[in-house]
Amino acid sequence: MADLSPQRVLPAAAVRSPGWGAGVGLVGRIRALAVSLAAPAVLLAVWEGLASLGALPAFLVSPRIVARELAALAASGDLFEHASASLYRSLVGFAMGSASGLALGLLSGVSPVVAGFFDPLVSLTNPVPKVATLPMLVVWFGISDLSKILLIAVSCFYPCFIAAFHGVRSVDPLWIWAARNMGARPSQAFFRVVMPATAAQMFNGLRVALALSFILMLASELMGSSNRTGLGFLLLSADAGGRFDLMFAAIAAIAMVGLVCDRLLLTARRALVHGEQEGGGTHG
Amino acid sequence: MPLLEVTNLSKVYGNGRGRLEAIRDLTLTMEEGEFVAVVGPSGCGKSTFLHILGGFIPPSDGSMRVAGRAVRGPGPDRGVMFQELALFPWRTVLGNTVWALEVQGYPRPEREAIAERYLSLVGLLPFKHAYPWELSGGMKQRVALARVLAFDPAVLLMDEPFGALDAQTRELLQEELQRICFETGKTVLFVTHDIEEAVYLADRVIVFSARPGRVKATVPIALARPRRLEVKKSGEFVAYRNQLWDLLREEVLKARQEAEAGQAAGDG
Amino acid sequence: MVSLLTWPRAWLSRTYSIFIVLGLWELVARSGWVNPRLFPSLAAVAEQVWVLAASQMLVVHATATLFRVFAGFGAAAVLGVGLGFLMARYEVFGRLVEPMFSFGYPVPRVALYPICIFLFGIGHLSKVVLVALECLYPIAIKTYYGTRAANRLYLWSAQSMGASRAQVFLKVVLPAAAPSVFTGFRIALPIAMVIVIVTEMISSTRGLGWLITYASASLSRAQVFAGVAAVAAIGFALDRTLAVVRNRLIFWERESLSLVDGSQ
Repeated sequence: MADLSPQRVLPAAAVRSPGWGAGVGLVGRIRALAVSLAAPAVLLAVWEGLASLGALPAFLVSPRIVARELAALAASGDLFEHASASLYRSLVGFAMGSASGLALGLLSGVSPVVAGFFDPLVSLTNPVPKVATLPMLVVWFGISDLSKILLIAVSCFYPCFIAAFHGVRSVDPLWIWAARNMGARPSQAFFRVVMPATAAQMFNGLRVALALSFILMLASELMGSSNRTGLGFLLLSADAGGRFDLMFAAIAAIAMVGLVCDRLLLTARRALVHGEQEGGGTHG
Repeated sequence: MPLLEVTNLSKVYGNGRGRLEAIRDLTLTMEEGEFVAVVGPSGCGKSTFLHILGGFIPPSDGSMRVAGRAVRGPGPDRGVMFQELALFPWRTVLGNTVWALEVQGYPRPEREAIAERYLSLVGLLPFKHAYPWELSGGMKQRVALARVLAFDPAVLLMDEPFGALDAQTRELLQEELQRICFETGKTVLFVTHDIEEAVYLADRVIVFSARPGRVKATVPIALARPRRLEVKKSGEFVAYRNQLWDLLREEVLKARQEAEAGQAAGDG
Repeated sequence: MVSLLTWPRAWLSRTYSIFIVLGLWELVARSGWVNPRLFPSLAAVAEQVWVLAASQMLVVHATATLFRVFAGFGAAAVLGVGLGFLMARYEVFGRLVEPMFSFGYPVPRVALYPICIFLFGIGHLSKVVLVALECLYPIAIKTYYGTRAANRLYLWSAQSMGASRAQVFLKVVLPAAAPSVFTGFRIALPIAMVIVIVTEMISSTRGLGWLITYASASLSRAQVFAGVAAVAAIGFALDRTLAVVRNRLIFWERESLSLVDGSQ
């Protein structure tokens, strides 16, 4: 069997799904990292240089001052308080919306009866900006965390439902046949074929939902917060006080929280989704 | 008692004007350890026959027994190797090979030992941690073969498993399958459109007629085993091939005439 | 065969749940179990929509909202498609810009809205800028992937047939990337709508988002629901329109327009 030498057949296996712009080996990776960090680094340096020369308008506070302000916020415990209030709203809403979206989406994918009920409703209301319903929710539940959380949950439901539903529908029926042939019960076929086969798409839906939950958390906080907490409220009060240093610090904090949550989700995806080719396809 | 008994099997799709008779009154028995190849013109219902045997599609009439037990739905007594392989892309080579044993509740060390034994039989043990997309076409076929061998079905049902491969790889895999079946004594029903493949692999070749599929002829192949690829050059082999080719040509022509007549009727 | 009799039946069997939900709403609203001011009937909402439309309020605010959506979306479409092409065409450029996308994606750009207001005022411009910024992401990313995936064989065969660089771009790369670009548009357009409504709700003097918050603040609940209904109708209409346009332009790779079809 001549074609079985590892060198000949598996050049791709050595470099498991190389990310875009990433190089091969440690040196290549460091180089790729350097290239990708170059643009932001240069931007920050120029910004800092111009700011210290006094060449920028007052509202473009120098990155150094923003960093100092951020450190002060962190030291006083304010940052933690606001960030945890925001995270509570966005993550509880995200959890409620995405769990129900994935569950109903999977169920609709498996059962035509369930799909017949939910698919038309979701298709009809999906392009509607759900944020417009916030005043409606406020009418029912008041300006509370509850109305914010419900808004986030409703918004997160859609991308998750659609990803799971279409994911199940695109599962190769032959995989199910193969599973049944190998002695799997229907429940085993669901948990060991349908679920892993749709995992990648479900994570795509979760990632969109997570980004949405942060947009809506921030937007709803900018519209009014009942208990004067949250990163959006911090931003709003900095704006009202004309404190550009504090404003940029708040923006930096928001960016970091968003980035960390997204990276955590991507890490979970890497741990749970197997066998993906470069470019994201699951078909082997 | 024969291992596989198919009695008066028929399959009809639809009714009225859309009625399509895929298989008519098919009877077939296979003894344990026998390798039977089914050839026929495309669209003669040979894949449908295999899917019915697999238990994925119910027959319209007739019965099927494996080792004396009636077939109802899919089950691991019949191992199916699909044309499209249906490997699970989220599982490694080893993960695919242990899958059946896993759902059947074998403990981990045992199922991995069994899977590794079959992976080494098909020469893929060094690649057990690779994912399907990292493998060449021929290697994927070997994984699918190891996967179906690993759960030790009473009969292997293979649906044109080498159809998508290039000529060289196909020949190598034919030789390998022939060796493995000789060594393990497996009972195999092998569907193909390739006459040479059928003659080379089988103890008996069954020719299906054009739609509706029926047994048109049965040709026993009396070539000695184990067979090397060189046997394909022998006079005996060529004689079998020509005999089957003549039987099949009539059916291919009939199928084509029917298709053209159907088209003309549809146009008119 | 779709006869006149079976058509409405088939249609109903596919959309019955919408009528069930609407019917339930009406039932709850008229049952007297809930305060009708908190839960107005569909008739009351429709009446408010009519009142808003008759007083020209709806037209004025919808026009402002739509102008912002289209201006921001249009700017993002031009910039995003250009950026995506450049990133795919010039690898160094791609590597320099890529971190902006991979790190910037999860950052909610709405956070920049106060700064946008400071720079561009509370009129159209601050909203348009934020919408453009938000829509840029999906459009540029989808264009990038679409262009990269443009089949190399198409390129080679075009070159071997003697096409110039401009011809290759216009006649091969552009059509090959078009389905993916439109996927980006389809993602971006609802986002544009969301951002316009959000920013109008946060601070504005015009637009449907403002109308809804204003109605809410002045405790005219039925008007809140009417505003939501108007926003919903516009959001839905925009999405459908884009889907139809897409299928006209990309006729070789049609997508299902059916409301209830999982395969789109």
